[in-house]
Amino acid sequence: MNIEEFLREAAGKPGVTGMELPAAEFIADAFRPYVDEVHITPLASVVARRKGKGPKVMLSAHLDEIGMMVSKIEEDGCLRMQSVGGVDPRVLPGMRVRVYGKKLLMGVVGATPPHLLSAKDRQSNYNFQDTLFVDLGMPAEKVRKVVSVGDKVCFENRFTELKNGRISMKTADDRACVAIMLKAAELLKDMKCDADVYFVASCQEEIGCIGAWTTGYEVDPDYAVVLDVCHAHTPGASPARTHEITDLVATKGPFIHPFLRKKLDEVAKEQNIKIQKAIATRGTGTDTDRLSIVRGGVPCVLLELPLKYMHTNVETFDMHALTEGARLLAHYLRAIDDTWEEQLWN
Amino acid sequence: MELNKLCELNGAPGDEGAVRNAIMAAASKVCDDVRIDKAGNVIAFKKGVKKSGRKHIILNAHMDEVAFISVGATEDGMIRIQPVGGIDPRVCVSKHVTVGEEKVKGVIGAMAIHLQSAADRQRVLDFDNLYVDIGAQSKDEALGAAPEGTYIYFDSKYEKFGDGCVVSKALDDRVGCYVMLKLLQESTQNDVTYAFVVKEEIGCRGARAAAFNTKADAVLVLEGTTAGDMGNVPEVSQVCRLGKGVAVSFMDNGSIVTRKLYKSVIDIAEKNGCHYQIKEAATGGNDASAYQATADAKATCVLSVPCRYIHGPSSVVKLSDVEDQLTLARHVVNSL
Repeated sequence: MNIEEFLREAAGKPGVTGMELPAAEFIADAFRPYVDEVHITPLASVVARRKGKGPKVMLSAHLDEIGMMVSKIEEDGCLRMQSVGGVDPRVLPGMRVRVYGKKLLMGVVGATPPHLLSAKDRQSNYNFQDTLFVDLGMPAEKVRKVVSVGDKVCFENRFTELKNGRISMKTADDRACVAIMLKAAELLKDMKCDADVYFVASCQEEIGCIGAWTTGYEVDPDYAVVLDVCHAHTPGASPARTHEITDLVATKGPFIHPFLRKKLDEVAKEQNIKIQKAIATRGTGTDTDRLSIVRGGVPCVLLELPLKYMHTNVETFDMHALTEGARLLAHYLRAIDDTWEEQLWN
Repeated sequence: MELNKLCELNGAPGDEGAVRNAIMAAASKVCDDVRIDKAGNVIAFKKGVKKSGRKHIILNAHMDEVAFISVGATEDGMIRIQPVGGIDPRVCVSKHVTVGEEKVKGVIGAMAIHLQSAADRQRVLDFDNLYVDIGAQSKDEALGAAPEGTYIYFDSKYEKFGDGCVVSKALDDRVGCYVMLKLLQESTQNDVTYAFVVKEEIGCRGARAAAFNTKADAVLVLEGTTAGDMGNVPEVSQVCRLGKGVAVSFMDNGSIVTRKLYKSVIDIAEKNGCHYQIKEAATGGNDASAYQATADAKATCVLSVPCRYIHGPSSVVKLSDVEDQLTLARHVVNSL
């Protein structure tokens, strides 16, 4: 499995939160060669099971993406939009977006020209309400035949290789972590692993971890490993809230099970994989927050891939960190056995 | 030479070489008298076919486009940039760029929304706070790829979309270059000097040299100009509109169109049924100002292709307007 090819294709499948099916179908197909059974849940999470006699472990990386929805078609044919998930409107002017109407259309995000803005408005960023719009290059009567209010709008899809193994792409949050799961599934093919592993690409994370919540109920796991992105160092950002882009991050805090977390360190040390530490005193902002209280509670651990420019079309990560994540995950799964249960609170 | 090829060439003010070479190659095929002047302009002359009473007309388009230049790097390998020409910093966040002659890939990233304070969300990131990320891990590595003074360009594809529209960088003013290369292939009634000039975006500097060196009866400046006709903008503020034909200016922020020439151009447009519109506001400036204020103070008129989101990575024009610019320019050089 070529991770890069997977990511290039996966990023092109529209998966705006609540409308993930094309992305889910693609990811389901990608897992099939490495697992025993795959299904898509009613909300569009992907569940890929590698059967085992040992403890039931659920992995969760979300497949949904932030994006926009058409909220109005103006008289001149331009589209107003609203964000689904936390879209930073600063990234939109000049972006070429894809509008999923009856046909797939390319549109250009335009903004009110500077000469029409007050001096004060020129000093502030454009916003969804009244200055940003999508230009489809067509008059309203033609637009209305193809596009309706509620249609989804996806970010420009480009995949750029930067220096030092850095990749810049749309929707690395969180399909880069889906890729970590997929690569781990491939590595496990040639490894002995007793755990009954459920690789879950969860839907609707961006609006409240609804996929992990519902799929966690269905799977009813003994343990869970959540994979998501965290912030890598970026100009202007506090170093206290960001990490080196080069290595994985694992959080400690009340939402993370201490034994599972300790085991992660042990496996990383054994495999010579570097992990950066983070803490979350309350919620982690990931599927962990819901999954850990599904049914009678699920012990969770969280592994994070540092990402620059999160929630933009140029999300940037280090491919080395991604592949190390897959290796760590595979060895972690291999290490899970029946002895864990009695050690949980020792 | 096709418009897409012209737009995909890089040519910042002072770095027009690639555009100049392409235009020289194309012009030399159809015109015997082509040269590069000291300013770096490409000047082609073609004698008219009219036996007597020929006038001499200069057609002018600029080869340069707005871009960036590197001015240093941070310790962690981010390239600092400044614009060359007028770029609104608000269109820069999250855009793809190429760095230098090697066209190293980069992105202009900015702090994630999760990390922004309420004030950050309002605040426009200016060029002191915008960086190009090429994946470099150190200052030395960044400066190796982009020593101070390296030109950086929007990495932006030319794409057709909608009802005969195209989106690209550099449409201002490769549309003018395209139209002039088309006309250069034809024979005209009057003598025509085709001036493909440098450095319009930083103060019409190339045109000044071309104006000084060439006497002429009239100058037609072929441009791209701001169209504000999308986004529910009040009609009075739209300036000009896509699909309504080439925009004829009566004045702009750089010059007032020579009245007699303006009337002749409108007459010619009317007589020949040309598809044109009057540019409804005095916005922007262009090379006409240089021709009026240099040497023999030539008569000028400006014909522009309406262009949305000008000076950005994704400016938009309608191809029919480009054809309308060609048609009107052709009629003027033949009938003046």
